[in-house]
Amino acid sequence: MSKKIKNHQIFEIYQEIKGKRIYTKSIVKGTPFSERVVRDGGVDYREFEPRRSKLAAAIVKGAHNIGIRKGDVILYLGASHGYTCSYLSDVVGEEGLIFGIDPAPRVMRDFVFLAENRKNLVPMLSNANHPEEYVDKVCLVDIVYQDIAQKNQAEIFIKNCKMFLKKDGYGLLAVKARSIDVKRKPKGIFNEIRQELEKEFIVADFKSLEPFQLDHCMIIVKKK
Amino acid sequence: MKYLFTSIVGSFVFDNNFNLVEEVRFKKGKLSGKSVEEGLKKKYKDLKKVPEEKLGEVLAFLKKKDYFTQFYNQNLVLTKKKIKSSVSEDLLIIQAISNYIELDKVCNLLSRRLREWYSWYLPEFAESLEDNEKFTELIVERSKKDLMKELGIEDTMGSDLGKEDVREMILLGNEILSLHSLRKKHEDYLQKIMKTYCPNLLALAGVTIGAKLFELGRSLKHLAMLPASTIQLLGAEKALFRHIKTGSKSPKYGVIINHPLIQNAKKQERGKVARSLADKLILCIRLDYFKGEFKALEYKKDLEEKFGQ
Repeated sequence: MSKKIKNHQIFEIYQEIKGKRIYTKSIVKGTPFSERVVRDGGVDYREFEPRRSKLAAAIVKGAHNIGIRKGDVILYLGASHGYTCSYLSDVVGEEGLIFGIDPAPRVMRDFVFLAENRKNLVPMLSNANHPEEYVDKVCLVDIVYQDIAQKNQAEIFIKNCKMFLKKDGYGLLAVKARSIDVKRKPKGIFNEIRQELEKEFIVADFKSLEPFQLDHCMIIVKKK
Repeated sequence: MKYLFTSIVGSFVFDNNFNLVEEVRFKKGKLSGKSVEEGLKKKYKDLKKVPEEKLGEVLAFLKKKDYFTQFYNQNLVLTKKKIKSSVSEDLLIIQAISNYIELDKVCNLLSRRLREWYSWYLPEFAESLEDNEKFTELIVERSKKDLMKELGIEDTMGSDLGKEDVREMILLGNEILSLHSLRKKHEDYLQKIMKTYCPNLLALAGVTIGAKLFELGRSLKHLAMLPASTIQLLGAEKALFRHIKTGSKSPKYGVIINHPLIQNAKKQERGKVARSLADKLILCIRLDYFKGEFKALEYKKDLEEKFGQ
């Protein structure tokens, strides 16, 4: 049988030989989000949909370096049901660890069921706006990933990066322009946030997520 | 000088250069370490809390494979506990009112179908009665002949269906009636739960409007933090954002439009009534949230006097 899957230029991400769909190698059995699965050489590859995840959208749009490798520890703010988290847990593998934080009990419930299958997902019911509340529940991390629809999302990101991100660690911020201001044009908002982040970090990459996610962008930064 | 740091994993004592002196790991399910901390404080006399700028070094120390399973286990237990304790009256009210609204929709849909169906059998009766619930009740209870006698007609346009064909309609009618009774039970339940949880809001807004405010405002706490103008427009978000974006006319009211005070007001005065009603509503909500006294009836009287009813 011929091979269907090849390596993507990003670590631990895979790609169809024909077509542009991206995949991750599943570390446990089952499809929690009823996603498409491709079986190749006895291994299950789960499809990573850019319309459902901002990280996947950024990768499809051509982000070269997302900074995430096998065995990393990730702080994930705004974990929600855990769609993106489940793929990140594939990426970091069993040696890695992901702290998933969300303030809403309803979505955390789904996340707990997911975490019971995947031993590298840590569910935490806390508010990312108050990092001092969960400082005794996490450790220093390699990556901070944030996807929160709040007005002060940049401020929350900077606060968390200062506290928990290691030196030279990467931060990924998905900005939703509509929750900052519905009236203004997204481009202006993105530039403003970029400038705000440039004061604290080195901005490594900037990708708008059209057409997969409306009025969103992904900013990848590196801590000085 | 030594530093003490207690995490969800255990208690740690560090020296000046942040080398580990002693660690006490917690067992699974044990989430606070007060007794351990006190024991350590007795053992080492000059223990200090870790200053904020040094937290990074402690957190870096904790980033070891050794601790990962414990982070996982402890946080899982803690999160489950938090989710368990997060169920409140707000949630119950929101679920009940959501189902109440859905039952409304379903009842209307099924009643319309029943009416259409029954019209082939006895169109004159289906035409004469507007109220869905009464209509269903009557056709389930009485036969075609009785109904024709009541209407005072001898002949009908409807065809003479067989017994089996009529039975299906009656079965659907029974189903609709049971849905209506469930809806009423929900209403009673909401009344009961809101009477203890938010008596002021219940007295001024009524059951459905009060509960709908909960649905949109998520919780009593969140509602109490909102300004009155937001309460006025809860449920009119679409119109409001259209107004902000394109400059069309601003909406005057959201879900409170169904309140009798607004319904009975003159057309030119409706916006004014909505504004003052929202003012009083937010006062009521704050009284309920901070467990104040019962003042809703006073407010209601004020409003009624002001707008001449």
